[in-house]
Amino acid sequence: MSAIRITDLTKRYGEIAANDGISFAVGRGEIFGYLGPNGAGKTTTIRLLLGLIKPTSGTAKLLGADIRDRRALTAAKADLGYLPDTLGFEERLTGREALDYFSRMRGDERRDELLELFDPPLEQRIETYSAGNQRMLGIVQAFMHDPTVAILDEPTAGLDPLKQDRMHAFLEAERDAGKTIFFSSHVLSEVQRVCDRVGIIREGKLVALEDINDLLERGGKEVRVQLTESVDERAFVTEQMIDVETVDSTVRFTYTGEAAALLDHLVRFEIDDVDIGDPQLDDIFKHYYGDETPSEGR
Amino acid sequence: MTAIFRLESRKRVRSSTVLVAVFALLSALYFSMFPGIQDEMDVFEEAFPEYMFELFGIEAIHTVEGFIAAEIYAFFWVLLVAIYFAYIGAGLIASDIQNRTMDLTLSNPVSRESVVLQKVAALWVPLVALNVGVSIIVYVGALVIGESFDPVSLAMAHLLSVPYLLVCAGIGLVLSVLIDHVRTARATALSIVFALWLVDSVSSVDPEYEWIGDLAPSRYYDPTAILVREEYALLDAGILLAVFLVLVAIAVFVFTRRDI
Repeated sequence: MSAIRITDLTKRYGEIAANDGISFAVGRGEIFGYLGPNGAGKTTTIRLLLGLIKPTSGTAKLLGADIRDRRALTAAKADLGYLPDTLGFEERLTGREALDYFSRMRGDERRDELLELFDPPLEQRIETYSAGNQRMLGIVQAFMHDPTVAILDEPTAGLDPLKQDRMHAFLEAERDAGKTIFFSSHVLSEVQRVCDRVGIIREGKLVALEDINDLLERGGKEVRVQLTESVDERAFVTEQMIDVETVDSTVRFTYTGEAAALLDHLVRFEIDDVDIGDPQLDDIFKHYYGDETPSEGR
Repeated sequence: MTAIFRLESRKRVRSSTVLVAVFALLSALYFSMFPGIQDEMDVFEEAFPEYMFELFGIEAIHTVEGFIAAEIYAFFWVLLVAIYFAYIGAGLIASDIQNRTMDLTLSNPVSRESVVLQKVAALWVPLVALNVGVSIIVYVGALVIGESFDPVSLAMAHLLSVPYLLVCAGIGLVLSVLIDHVRTARATALSIVFALWLVDSVSSVDPEYEWIGDLAPSRYYDPTAILVREEYALLDAGILLAVFLVLVAIAVFVFTRRDI
């Protein structure tokens, strides 16, 4: 049984479809990256999964519970960890009191272990917390009851790089322990680093659903060629080269064909140096979004 | 599952304490005034036309019961405390939705029905604090100036106000599940409770229009009648309690079906 199964899920607000016929499943023991720019509909999918909003059509199952069945969904939430993008804590409480509050509803057997990794100032009131401290408290509350499934909406926003690395390592360990992580982000490098599979959402529609390695492969190879002298671009460039940039005798491009064919082609030129590597997910993203780079701001 | 109930109860402590302190000050003021102006009250009663007294629920103002009923209960309790309950009621759901606390709350294995009911149940804090605190203050205050209150009618004045205050909270609660902006919900709730009180007060002046006030909750709670005439309108309190339960049921019905 999939931890999360989404079937033709649609949420409309008047004419606008925040989610438009989205279908995919997330298996157990998987880190699934849900990728898209702000406003693409990631949070809408998550809020549908949590039963906070009702689907216009289609449905989803969270740990086998249909999201339209309120009673079953409520029961399933005992095994769910949720880290929202906007953390709505009771600001008057201290961090410790907030964790006590959540533990009364679903337990906290892993609280101490988590507090060693993520250490917000527990004795202070949450209203005094920085964004990073709020996020850390959010992570602790999301995982302290050892949930089977964790739904994380932009989980590393506001965290310093060290804590981001800790978070990534923690998620990988959880995955290896059989937990399911649903991870929404607009930070591509993050998804590239930790996720096993990725779904890309754009304007409410799922535009890609792939293994992260396939996606990188599909994105072609990033190639930089240093020629001994300037070359006639018309002679050098083939159909498989896209996004070609030429500066003096250096040519950079993304190669979408077979590696062997590229090498055959290159030996016909006088070459000083060649660099072939995996493309950044950002570049792959361009194929889905055109030249418009996803915005980093919120 | 009492986590929400406990947290909500705690959130009510501070404002309840402040309100009790306000009533302590008001009581000190009125009790210290009473001996000095008691004799003038006869003159006062003759000087003003009848409808002025009906408008503000005043009778037998030369007795300590009548004076305190008029000054503390008929106005401050029936209007101020009612508005406080409407204000709290209007914040119960709307403020959590607005600041996204509700998202986190509902990620727990707790039903929406339970969220509403636990929040409503936490109203016990202001109900107990105000009723116990203010009744003791009034009782002791009368003794201090050498007067006395009938403890039974004083207790009834507070007990029978509970359903009335709950109805005011219920009006707020229904608005709280309907209106997303907490300030709008609160302002609307305050306005409605105030308008209903005004309708009751004004309509009671003219017997021909008195029936209009039957729609106002304050028509079903009359502290002056309880304190001065020892009339305990149990049926009216029952009606208020029934209305409160209906309002809570409406709020639960709406809240369990809406998007957040």
